[in-house]
Amino acid sequence: MSASSEPDTNPRGIPRAPFVDNVAEFVSKSGVKESLDKFQEMLQKYKYMEMTTLQRQAGLKEKIPDIQKSLEMVEFLQLKGSAGEDVVTNYELNDTLYTEAKIEASGIQSVYLWLGANVMLEYDVAEAKQLLSERLEGAKRGYDTAEEDVLFLRENITTVEVNIARVHNWDVNRRKKEREEAERAENK
Amino acid sequence: MSEGLLDEGTEVKDVEVLREDQDRINRFSSLNTQMDHLEDDEKESSTSKEYLDDLIMEMELMDEDETVKFKIGDAFVDIPQSEAMVRLEKQQEEVDAKLDKTQSRMSEIRDEMEELKKHLYAKFGNSISLER
Repeated sequence: MSASSEPDTNPRGIPRAPFVDNVAEFVSKSGVKESLDKFQEMLQKYKYMEMTTLQRQAGLKEKIPDIQKSLEMVEFLQLKGSAGEDVVTNYELNDTLYTEAKIEASGIQSVYLWLGANVMLEYDVAEAKQLLSERLEGAKRGYDTAEEDVLFLRENITTVEVNIARVHNWDVNRRKKEREEAERAENK
Repeated sequence: MSEGLLDEGTEVKDVEVLREDQDRINRFSSLNTQMDHLEDDEKESSTSKEYLDDLIMEMELMDEDETVKFKIGDAFVDIPQSEAMVRLEKQQEEVDAKLDKTQSRMSEIRDEMEELKKHLYAKFGNSISLER
């Protein structure tokens, strides 16, 4: 396409939408219908990407508090462990079923982290804390990246929408002028 | 809410959209999206703040040595009231800081959006709609 644009992308490789400098010039090269079709197709693609990115972002937003919870508990156990205190807890034995347990936190060495895919692994308390902190950071970074992408996509959706409106309006005005000229010619 | 989309009606003033106009429209659109997200964050933080403020007030009436069942992660642990208060006050500080940050960002964005609106309405008049 011969639009005046820098063919750049954002850091995740999402292409920037072309800006139309001069509608008349642009349309004379690509044609009205062809331009509109092309922009519509572009719009669909951007909107699809926006939707999937928003879904990914929502997923991360749920994941972050989950990691935070585990991290908080590991830190609590570590704190109690170093203070040489035991912990009495009411914990969820099953959905909606709680029971009491005493954790000998004094001298606690390790905890078990659920890694997903039916795998649980034993970690040294300090290691578990580090792993969870890293995961938390990763999830937050992912969230911020998704936000950046969403905003970038929004800008490009706007550009394409404006392009469509401009080409459309240009065409409406052109036909109107043609009609007026035809009428004037008839009245002569 | 309407985007920076030009009116597709037939009677449109023939105003040329320049690169800088497009950049302003895009910026506006992006700020608008950010605003939506910040509004969600603000609502979340205000709710937690309300809960925490109420809870701290209630807990202050308790005896310091009394044991409370305090939720950490998905489990409840027995800790003395005094320890629970320290934790709650820390949470309160965090929520306050987060809310402050969100609100100051929102007011920055509001200012920038107003500035952009001035420019864009001056140039495009009725051909553009920038209301939320």
